[in-house]
Amino acid sequence: MPRLLRRSPLLALLSLALLVLMPEHRAKAEPSFSVTAPHLTVSLLVPPAEIYPGQTFTAGLDFRLEQGWHVYWINAGDSGEPPAITWKLPSGITAGAMQFPPPKRLPLGPLMDFGYENEVVFPIPMRVAADFHPSQPEATLAAHITWLVCRAVCIPGKADLALTRSALATAPASPTSDSTAQSLIARFQAQLPKPLPSSDTAIFSSTPKSFLLNVTGTKNASAQFFPLDETVIANAAPQPPVATSKGVQLTLTKDENLQAPPQKLNGLLELADGTAYEIHATPGIIAAATTNTAPSGGSSGFLGAAGLAFIGGILLNLMPCVFPVLFIKGLALVQSSQHERHRLRAHGWVYTLGILVSFWVVVAVLIVLRAAGRQLGWGFQFQSPTFLALMAMLLFFLGLALAGQFEIGLSLTSAGGSLAQKQGYAGSFFTGVLAMVVATPCTAPFMGAAIGYALAHSAWVSFAVFSALALGLALPYLALSYFPGWARVLPKPGAWMEVLKQAVSIPIFATVIWLVWVFTQLAGTTALMGLLAAFLLLAIAGWFLGRWPGKAGATTMAVVFLSGAIATPIWSVRTFGVPPQPVSAQSAPGSQLPAPGSAWEPFTPTLLAQSRAQGKPVFVDFTASWCLSCQVNERLILRRADVEQRLRDSGAVLLRADWTNQDPDITQTLAALGRSGVPTYALYPADPSAPAHVLPEVLTPGIVLDALAALPKPQQQTAAAGTE
Amino acid sequence: MRRLPILTAAVLAALSLSAHAAKVGDPAPDFTAADSHGQTHKLSEYRGKYVVLEWTNNGCPYTRKHYNSGNMQNLQKEWTGKGVVWLTVLSSSPGAQGYMTASDENAYIAKVHADPTAALLDPTGTLGHEYDARTTPDMYVIDPNGKLIYAGAIDDHPNDDPSDIPHSKNYVSAALTEAMAGQPVQVSYTRPYGCSVKYQGAD
Repeated sequence: MPRLLRRSPLLALLSLALLVLMPEHRAKAEPSFSVTAPHLTVSLLVPPAEIYPGQTFTAGLDFRLEQGWHVYWINAGDSGEPPAITWKLPSGITAGAMQFPPPKRLPLGPLMDFGYENEVVFPIPMRVAADFHPSQPEATLAAHITWLVCRAVCIPGKADLALTRSALATAPASPTSDSTAQSLIARFQAQLPKPLPSSDTAIFSSTPKSFLLNVTGTKNASAQFFPLDETVIANAAPQPPVATSKGVQLTLTKDENLQAPPQKLNGLLELADGTAYEIHATPGIIAAATTNTAPSGGSSGFLGAAGLAFIGGILLNLMPCVFPVLFIKGLALVQSSQHERHRLRAHGWVYTLGILVSFWVVVAVLIVLRAAGRQLGWGFQFQSPTFLALMAMLLFFLGLALAGQFEIGLSLTSAGGSLAQKQGYAGSFFTGVLAMVVATPCTAPFMGAAIGYALAHSAWVSFAVFSALALGLALPYLALSYFPGWARVLPKPGAWMEVLKQAVSIPIFATVIWLVWVFTQLAGTTALMGLLAAFLLLAIAGWFLGRWPGKAGATTMAVVFLSGAIATPIWSVRTFGVPPQPVSAQSAPGSQLPAPGSAWEPFTPTLLAQSRAQGKPVFVDFTASWCLSCQVNERLILRRADVEQRLRDSGAVLLRADWTNQDPDITQTLAALGRSGVPTYALYPADPSAPAHVLPEVLTPGIVLDALAALPKPQQQTAAAGTE
Repeated sequence: MRRLPILTAAVLAALSLSAHAAKVGDPAPDFTAADSHGQTHKLSEYRGKYVVLEWTNNGCPYTRKHYNSGNMQNLQKEWTGKGVVWLTVLSSSPGAQGYMTASDENAYIAKVHADPTAALLDPTGTLGHEYDARTTPDMYVIDPNGKLIYAGAIDDHPNDDPSDIPHSKNYVSAALTEAMAGQPVQVSYTRPYGCSVKYQGAD
């Protein structure tokens, strides 16, 4: 080469010119504030013209991209790498971390990246120390930048950028700055995520497949979540948003390989208007609140919920599941009519106490389990086959006693005497417990919204609302015990009471049949054998008690058989019980429509989101086979020929959410509606941002038809539907 | 027009549902795929051996980081020498970066002195979708019982700078070393880094 150059000065000159023109060399010789690289131009922005002690300012790193190319957010998503900057600064000047404006979702086939197209400026906070002593009249701010720019292919790039600014020993009287750079940085600074206001909360709950993220204070039907942590959520999965009365709720699909639930869900929540909040969601119970039915926050919301619960409790006395207990209560009334008025009142209060205490116990258990992360709602105990077996056995044994096989404390003939009095109070208390237990599967009108509200708020609100519900349930009997007139209406105690007592056993046995039916669906026919055997053991125990009343030996035998009776179904559920997951619409025949013409599909949140995305409204029937009012609504209303016809003609997708077993997806969907139990009927308009219309718990044909008619008419594509 | 992103989301949801992504700790999805010599490989036939799946795209700077430095070839030589089946997978669709015909791939392997057990040609992306492979490189380690014991990045330096390789922790080597010593794999799942896999329809 040297020889060649000596020989040809022209060639030497040419190669020198080439060297100068080659960008890397030019950059090395005199670093510029801006470099054009393949598919982008990257520039360093430093608005102030002077650098001086104690100064703070915001620098910026500006990427201008070719059409279709992108650089990445701090979490690049499924592929890619964010840009990085390494500063070389005079001593006394320090740079903070690069700040990332909210990115865009960038789908690539099955993958999802997070990044920026067209142009992005990353603001960088800068600080000049108070003891900054410029050794030279100019300060050079240099930085080494690396990035990855991608379209169909990815090209890594790097550049050394620098700019010089006057370095002053003291702050100038009138600082000057590059206003173009300043306004460009300010534009992107304005987009930076803000901390969530302290009055708002971000909480998440976890299901096997997803996270439910609930953020208050950002009432919005459209929002996107960008995770700051990698490998926590599936980046490409859609994030169906639901507007709640106080904020927004997103369903985030978990990363398939997520090993342990995260302590926090960190990321950005970007709203439709571009506002972004930095979210550090903590695990919690998802506040259920909906735009239409649930009473919203504040004391009016609380009073409303408590009032609704109270009225709901009164109406609960009329619901079909409480029907058998009405007989027991009637029986208790007749028994009480023999006593003095103060005794009547005492019985009324003990009965009320029985209801209250049993509600408190169930609410306490529910709150503890939900705090432990279980997705449970009202009526959850009916999702346990063991509980169902114990309930069925309890009622069967009670039925035997009422039918006259043996005498228990509830006996009418043992009135009087101090022991019998005590037993009488125990009986009243027990009747209250029984009323609560049997009433649970029926969510009466007004109760859905109140229970949803109660479970979404603090523990004391839950207890207060459920206490109001308990008082409502107890009120009719309590009022009667204070009403002197009613006792005289009843005939004098006599033989007719024995007849009534035996007759009451009939609805009790009917209830047993229903519980056995629900149990079989949950636990399977093999486990059913255990329960039926338990009935036999109960009958034997009853025979001992009835044949040799008051004899110690017989009582011992009865206790032995009772213990066996209790142990048998628990053992059979453990051993033969089918796992809860497979129970769905197909194994719950009671909650299914007959096959011909049936358009009901099993509910999944994805199916709901997909159907709405396809522009179809969705009608969801949240039901359970242990829920009697659900069965009544399905048989009398939803299966009526005209209602069925209109449901089909409406073009709505019909989904049946069977909550017979625990199902976190259904529990969460209910929570999003502000509900915590069944029956719930929800009509989701096709527009995913529009709130769902929740129908009342007691359906009439008119309610369903009106709700369908109120749907916004989307594409009237089917000519065949012109018959209406 | 307003529906378009929603529809895209729905299609993506359907896609992500249909893909049986590989889950660490579960049996690795079985597959049958042809290599660059026309031979067929079935995962279940390799029971009793450790199997490494390496997604590759020789145009991707991150893949090049590990091939130009010789890092990937060294790993392939080291572990196939210890009886590990090392399968390089090419899921780039025809026309996309990293797509190779069988003869091109054989020539490339010879040129860079790569030493995998085989290079599987997956231009339809079937194998890639089955494993939910996201980047090149994206690495999977399967134990002799057919269980997936590692999925994710090749090492802990998610960049394209080869000078980082000497002080990187290689997750594949770590997983194989730990599993062969009968120990649990400490890091069994990481975010894979690199270029996106150039699947069909991914533009």
